[in-house]
Amino acid sequence: MEQNLNELTAWMIWIIPFVAAMMMPLIGRYSTNIVGYVASGFAFLSAVTAISFLPHVLESHEVHNQVLWISSINLKAGVLADPLSILMANIVAWISFLITVYSIGYMKEDKDKVRFWFWMMFFIGSMQLIVLSDNLLQMFFGWEGVGLASYALISFWYRDKKQHHVGTENRAVLGLIEYYSPTHAGMKAFIMTKVGDIMMLAGMFLIFSFAGTFGFRELIDDTTWATNMATNGLLIPAIVLLFGGAVGKSAQFPLNEWLLEAMTGPTAVSALIHAATMVKAGVFLVARLGPILFALSMTGILADQFFEIVALTGAITALLLATQGMVNMELKKVLAYSTGSQIGYMMMALGMAGLSEQFVDGYTAGFFHLMSHAMFKASLFMAAGSLIHVVGSRFMTDMGGLKKSLPKTYIFVWASGLALMGAPFITTGFWSKDAIFASIYESEHVFALPIFIIAVLTAIITSFYTTRMIGIIFFGKRSDHITKMEESGSNIHEVDKIMWIPYGILAVLTIGIGIFGLTAENNIHDMFSEYLDHSFGIHSIHTINNEESEFFDNLNIIAVVFSLLAFIVGFALGYIFYIGKYVDPNKFVNSNLVFYSFHKLILNRWYLNTLIYWCFIVYPLLLIRRIWRYFEKTVIDLGMNNGFEYAIKWSSNIIHKTQTGIVQSYLYVFGAGLLFILMILLV
Amino acid sequence: MEYIALQVVFLPLLLSPLAYILGKKLGPTITMWFAFSILAYCTLLIIHQFVVGDYEEHYVWTELFGEFGFLFDGLSSIFAIVIYLLCTILALYSKPYMIHKFQENFNSLESNEKQLGSNTQSMIVTISKTEYVNKQSGIYFALYLVFAMGMLGTVLATNLIEFYIFFEVMLIPAFFLLAFYGDGDKRRISLMFFFWTHVGAVILLLGFLVIGLNVGSFDFADIDESKIPNNILLLSAIAIIIGLGVKLAAFMFHIWLPYAHGAAPTPISALLSPAMIGIGAYGLFRLIIEFLPNAYHELAIWLHIWGLVTMIYGGIMALMQDDIKRLFAYSSISQMGYILFGIGSYSVLGMTGAEMMYITHALGKGLLFMTAGILIVQVKTRSISKLGGLASKLPITAVCAVIGALTIMGVPPTSGFMGEWMLFYGSIDTAIDQDSPLRIIIFSLGLISTVITMSYMLWMLKRVFFGKLPETLTHVKEGNWYMLSPMIVLAVLTIIVGIYPDIFLNDIVPYMNEITTKILNIN
Repeated sequence: MEQNLNELTAWMIWIIPFVAAMMMPLIGRYSTNIVGYVASGFAFLSAVTAISFLPHVLESHEVHNQVLWISSINLKAGVLADPLSILMANIVAWISFLITVYSIGYMKEDKDKVRFWFWMMFFIGSMQLIVLSDNLLQMFFGWEGVGLASYALISFWYRDKKQHHVGTENRAVLGLIEYYSPTHAGMKAFIMTKVGDIMMLAGMFLIFSFAGTFGFRELIDDTTWATNMATNGLLIPAIVLLFGGAVGKSAQFPLNEWLLEAMTGPTAVSALIHAATMVKAGVFLVARLGPILFALSMTGILADQFFEIVALTGAITALLLATQGMVNMELKKVLAYSTGSQIGYMMMALGMAGLSEQFVDGYTAGFFHLMSHAMFKASLFMAAGSLIHVVGSRFMTDMGGLKKSLPKTYIFVWASGLALMGAPFITTGFWSKDAIFASIYESEHVFALPIFIIAVLTAIITSFYTTRMIGIIFFGKRSDHITKMEESGSNIHEVDKIMWIPYGILAVLTIGIGIFGLTAENNIHDMFSEYLDHSFGIHSIHTINNEESEFFDNLNIIAVVFSLLAFIVGFALGYIFYIGKYVDPNKFVNSNLVFYSFHKLILNRWYLNTLIYWCFIVYPLLLIRRIWRYFEKTVIDLGMNNGFEYAIKWSSNIIHKTQTGIVQSYLYVFGAGLLFILMILLV
Repeated sequence: MEYIALQVVFLPLLLSPLAYILGKKLGPTITMWFAFSILAYCTLLIIHQFVVGDYEEHYVWTELFGEFGFLFDGLSSIFAIVIYLLCTILALYSKPYMIHKFQENFNSLESNEKQLGSNTQSMIVTISKTEYVNKQSGIYFALYLVFAMGMLGTVLATNLIEFYIFFEVMLIPAFFLLAFYGDGDKRRISLMFFFWTHVGAVILLLGFLVIGLNVGSFDFADIDESKIPNNILLLSAIAIIIGLGVKLAAFMFHIWLPYAHGAAPTPISALLSPAMIGIGAYGLFRLIIEFLPNAYHELAIWLHIWGLVTMIYGGIMALMQDDIKRLFAYSSISQMGYILFGIGSYSVLGMTGAEMMYITHALGKGLLFMTAGILIVQVKTRSISKLGGLASKLPITAVCAVIGALTIMGVPPTSGFMGEWMLFYGSIDTAIDQDSPLRIIIFSLGLISTVITMSYMLWMLKRVFFGKLPETLTHVKEGNWYMLSPMIVLAVLTIIVGIYPDIFLNDIVPYMNEITTKILNIN
């Protein structure tokens, strides 16, 4: 009985939001103002369902329930609620609940509320579907569902008004203007993630072809498929292809460019989809697959290359996007760069986990960072939404000196900003980042050193751009834009309660959990080591010592020193340039050619975006135009259609000419023919 | 129940004169409901039969050709359901669209009349606009019923000659519908359509004759591959494939399709595109894979490649279109490429996927052509560059168009995904089985080309429904319920099939299993 109830609850976590989505249009007919409250209520219900599940899963490990789905080829649908998925489901559910509350205020004046809430609920449902699915195919439904919701919400303001664009108008890079409308951005995001998705599909197919199942549990229980694939040399390609899906969805290099344009959506959407949840789907996928593959290594099938690729991709992305975050002037874009870069950290941790002896360390570090990032980045984004809402501009240069006018937001941004920087000992960000450093350092792999260096460098940069962001927005003089606004009578003041409370809660939580960060981390660590041991047979070396050890024994001194250093250096640099204003950043950049060209390189997004446009949009379209003009229009149309017409006309003309009506010529032809036949007969 | 097949095939044909008379006397609304109820009745019969199970009917015909029969099995009943379902709901859609078209024709005739001067006496002067519309609607629905019957007969036939007859019968009403009610250079285009598809049909007939004369019977049941000498077998199979390839509008034989689909009146485009050209796929399943497995074994890889080329070519040409109906026409070519790709995949799931693609394409492309029709009636333009931002003016149409586009793109939870994943899975599965690098390359290119499909669809949506609303379009109003309700039906169906494909798969998979075992026995 209880078991049945639990199974039903697991299904409910993802079904509730979908039901809510279906109800939105109906409620919208009655009144558009209450739609948001109803949706929020459903999000709360889903969150409560999720958390009610937590104790149960922690006790008895997992709930796995299947129903027959496509009977003709014997495919099952199911839910797999194990510690990993339930923890993730709770993060998703609670963060999305808070963001829905925020959205009630944020979307108050928008006309298309029903559409907004439909897609928000659809998104939450799809995300929970990804998290709770017990097989790859069903997961792919959620996977594409979140992509669809993301497309719909990025281009939510489909009328393409100027204030909803991103990028600087008329600013060309290599001949292409980087200024995008919401509908363009939505399309770009959908197509770019689709590139990842087809890789994922190919990977799924390869595995299905050998294993005959998409189910995670089935893949763990019987590993003959892996042996067969490994002997055919297809195991690594298959999982790397699967990882391709994660690269697309999580905006990792080289499919990272869509995330920046995704900022055209309403900020609540950016907070939910493009910071806290959807972009984590890729990390989640790696977290789902990682243990399976690591467990394989104990049976002698090595998947090291996979983990190396994951770690390297993460490292490259982390550095690449962090550098760009240093120079951008659009508030949301800075946060977007930072999101991609932080997800790079998670990938690094998960990748290095697979390369080290102690899988659980890196695994915990990656997941802990996912949790803490979800909290502080959602909070930062919501705060950014309020700022943009208040100031009416997406550029940080239009803000400045807002410390006094928006005191609450100021404090909350500091709190979550410090978490992003990894301010020592009191923020979740510090502990999770430190855990990542430690796991990289301890992995003792060849890649450990270079990746460690990249991680520290990225941490410095992160700390720098966060300080810069806060400095430009809250310190210094008020910008012309604000002065103008105040002159024209509008008052710069704090946003509604319904908006600041959600990000306030998250900011406070970041610090609150941060104070007990190490304990939290240890708890997760214990939970995961038990989970990995129980479900995958991955034994942790730590677990035995752990219970007797002192509190700080788990800390890796080198990691702590480096994360402290990174924080201090980055913060100091940021302070010098943007808060204390001892050096003018513009002058500094223009002071010599090296700085200047580096600045230009990162300002132009390492030219990656433009190159993608040239190679995959502009030139192919030119080529297609040629084919259209010279093949379809000429060869096919003129050649076959008109050609045939002319051939008929021509032959009719010839025949027409023979119909002369002169008896002599007819007789002549007749005679010639007769002679011809006669000759043939004679010969 | 008896004579079910006879009823569903010949009822529309026999009652079509009545439709003409009704139209002339009572006007378009009653005629429409008349045609609708005939087709709905027949559709229900087919669905009933589909639920009950496989079923055959045979009647005595001439000694020369064999028996005249009808067969419902895992292949044909699904094609039959899709064809009649589309015909039924498009009858509803036809009413407002065709009235709009008749009036347009009348007006242009009238203005021609005025230009010619008063001394020429013609019929226009003698009849009023209402009379003209009534008469035309009679003609339209009579032809419509015959067209439906032709398509259905083809997929139910159990005899090569019978197949050929129905194959040609469906062309005649389609030709007239195009010639009477088309847009643009309709006379020329209708001839072109008739000519090319007829060329295809004749090549097909050649193949049939070779097979029939070698086997000694034209009945499907008697066809035995071993009786045909090997060298002739391959040639006749190629003839059949080419004949059906013209119908499928596969690459190099697609000349007629963009013209025909672009010019045909929209309800007919919505039938031509998904229902009619897909019959080529039906033919390939029935005639090549089921009856000539040895030939299929030889040719599968070529079908696979041909499918790939068609997929990519149709997709990139769709990117270049400004006329929305031509865009969908090229998209249909690309989708037929998918089907061909699946047929060439040499595996159960690949072929199942190909048949699912037929259903999917019917639902998705049906929706999209209906969208184009609403644009033509409500906005009075079909040039994409003049459109934009219409989502705010045509909300229901926009939602249906998005669902249709998602279906074509193969995004879950629409039925498109169910077709697509099986199709591609089948392809890679065979590639691994046969350890063939060529097939792996084809598979990868095929999967990549789904990105092209996605690009042209999303770009179309962006240009038509999103962005700034041009000032000329501020007055646009949503279409009426005759047009919207068919779209909503299809939109709901595509999602139901996408989430629960068992409805169709339970019948398709056993059939595909049966025919592939034959092929696998060759090795």
